[in-house]
Amino acid sequence: MASEVEETLKRIQTHKGVIGIIIVNSEGIPIKTTLDNSTTVQYAGLITQLADKARSTVRDIDPTNDLTFLRIRSKKHEIMVAPDKEYLLIVIQNPSG
Amino acid sequence: MADRRAELERKKQKLAMIREEKERRKREREAKESEDVPMRVTRPDKDLRTETEELLSSLGIPLGSEGSVTRSLNATPDTSLSPIPDQSLSSTQSGTGPVKSLRKQPKLSVVSVHQANIPPKESVTYNKQTQTASTTVDREAHPLDYYKWDDEFQVEEEGEGCSLPSKNLESPSIYPRHNTPHKVAGLPKVEMVRPASAAEGDTPMTPGHTEQQKEEKIKVDLSEEEKQQIMMSEEFHIFFGKASRIVERALYEDLDICVDYTGTGEEQEGDDKSGIRLLLNRCFTDDRWSKNRTITSFDWSAQFPELLVASYNNNEDVPHDPDGVCLIWNMKFKKTTPEHIFHCQSPVMAACFAKFHPNLILGGTYSGQIVLWDNRSNKRTPVQRSPLSASAHTHPVYCVQVVGTQNAHNLISISTDGKFCTWSLDMLSAPQDTMELTHQKQSRAVAVTSLSFPYGEFNNFVVGSEEGSVYTACRHGSKAGVMDMFEAHQGPVTGVDTHRAQGHIDFSHLFLTSSIDWTVKLWSLKDTKPLYSFEDNGDYVYDVSWSPIHPALFACVDGMGRLDVWNLTNDTELPTASLVVDGSPALNRVVWTPTGHQVVVGDDAGKIWIYDVGEQLASPKSNEWSVFMHTLQELQNNQVDQDLDVLTSLSSSIFSSPSTGIR
Repeated sequence: MASEVEETLKRIQTHKGVIGIIIVNSEGIPIKTTLDNSTTVQYAGLITQLADKARSTVRDIDPTNDLTFLRIRSKKHEIMVAPDKEYLLIVIQNPSG
Repeated sequence: MADRRAELERKKQKLAMIREEKERRKREREAKESEDVPMRVTRPDKDLRTETEELLSSLGIPLGSEGSVTRSLNATPDTSLSPIPDQSLSSTQSGTGPVKSLRKQPKLSVVSVHQANIPPKESVTYNKQTQTASTTVDREAHPLDYYKWDDEFQVEEEGEGCSLPSKNLESPSIYPRHNTPHKVAGLPKVEMVRPASAAEGDTPMTPGHTEQQKEEKIKVDLSEEEKQQIMMSEEFHIFFGKASRIVERALYEDLDICVDYTGTGEEQEGDDKSGIRLLLNRCFTDDRWSKNRTITSFDWSAQFPELLVASYNNNEDVPHDPDGVCLIWNMKFKKTTPEHIFHCQSPVMAACFAKFHPNLILGGTYSGQIVLWDNRSNKRTPVQRSPLSASAHTHPVYCVQVVGTQNAHNLISISTDGKFCTWSLDMLSAPQDTMELTHQKQSRAVAVTSLSFPYGEFNNFVVGSEEGSVYTACRHGSKAGVMDMFEAHQGPVTGVDTHRAQGHIDFSHLFLTSSIDWTVKLWSLKDTKPLYSFEDNGDYVYDVSWSPIHPALFACVDGMGRLDVWNLTNDTELPTASLVVDGSPALNRVVWTPTGHQVVVGDDAGKIWIYDVGEQLASPKSNEWSVFMHTLQELQNNQVDQDLDVLTSLSSSIFSSPSTGIR
């Protein structure tokens, strides 16, 4: 089972333009990462906060609603966040390849 | 508070008064008793009384004192004492009689004591302003938090609120989910420690915050095992399955939603060369067959514009492998292996697709042989070979090309001994026709290194030679053979390319030549003098190629790994886009894809690099042809001026012997 996870991670990592993948738990601690430590910690902390804020925004507007996917497009990168109750999958991609 | 103090004062006073009264009463009573005792003796009828009195007196002192207390209290009805004693006594007050009833037992009754416990108000404060700023502070604090704990506690005990407020403001913002500090803190406890705190909001935060910090510190230290454990857990897999599926879908969507069609970019990339101009798309290389072999030529399939044939030189490191390799690559798919692999015994110097036969690939080798491969057969070796005879070539064949129409076409091959052979594709045993390319003035044959047919031409062509001269020649006709000579370069000509882009103005008389002498020169067939010389390179220029769609665009490569794309309408002094290939290999060949949006470069290590040329650069605008015309005119004028200058300076030097007089 764990090897499947590894395989999928590798597949995503080798996709064109993908810079890195981080998996964090609900407290913002990185569980698995393909980036260096300082970058990981930075992303983990900031993105966790942002995802929480996004989720709370969605729920405030409509309490029956919930956040399913968060995508941040910037000039240089695209950060995709797939949230869950317990964990968060963060993928950083350079969309132009 | 002041009221309370005053009340306390009053209470004390009352107590003092009561004590005094007590004392007084006691003394009085004693005095009375001492009086009473003799009186008791004289009054027998009062024996009972005295007896009872005595009895009472033994018990009576406490009773009496109580009574005296109550009496004294009764005597001072206007003074309001503390509420509690008041309440308790007021009920007894009714029971007690006036002063005279010394003996009267004060009535005792059970009193319920009211106790009002007012818990202090819980105040919850959030400060949202500092959310982002605080995170950085917090982040900085991380490594030292472990040591800072105790300081926090001490600070708290001191009652100093100065450093804490900043921390307090942070804690709610960082962990908004952790609203628990407010409850966890246990407010009444906090109150006791800080009797006189100005801002109530501060107090609940600090102990909670320190606890949080503790938690924080513990969190960051998740060990590898724990991480592994988490990753093994079932719920993690469920989460990961869902999340990875969504993410992969999102990743594979290549759509760039931020495309700006108006072209008015806020992007600074307008003049930025690296941004959009040349981008590495992919790299074709095969470890087994292309490694360490110099790429000698490229050709495109006419039927399938995505198919590219590349011919390779020999690999010195592996002598047992076939010397000549020819690979067919497919640009359309992401596959990284060649479509077809062909090899032969002699290094292949030139290869081309048989234009009107989609299955045939022709190669000219170092030995002078012409080889034919067929991709329908399963063999990797040639299906047909020309003989090694004097009738064919005996020198390396550097150029092969199929010219003609569907019905009347021939294979042309030229070797470095100047031999020009025409072949029929059906029969490679003997050439149909041979010709010696010799320049009329010289008896020496032309050592041809490159060949190019102008667009639409089947008869006249341009060849570059090892001596550095370029010749025009024609195949048929009365003057078959070399016609004109251009004193082109100071070194061997490595590449010749005639203009290809078709527009309303015909530029097919233009051709470019590249040479070992570091220059690229632009020529017109009408003129023996070069129109322009591009001298930007710092090494041997190995190849040059016109863009098939843009009239003023061409690419050249040199031995330092530099790929230059020149746009003549933009700038004639410097290349409009330039880059150095990864690892700076010497680049041997360059071609444009038929679409004109990509450049294919071959190096001496067997790698094919495909670069995307930015839209703005690659696509010609509608007026491009006319603009280029103007540019050419300018170039020509400049050339004329230059020549004039040269002439005048020459003449001036001739005539300058007397004093003045230049003209």
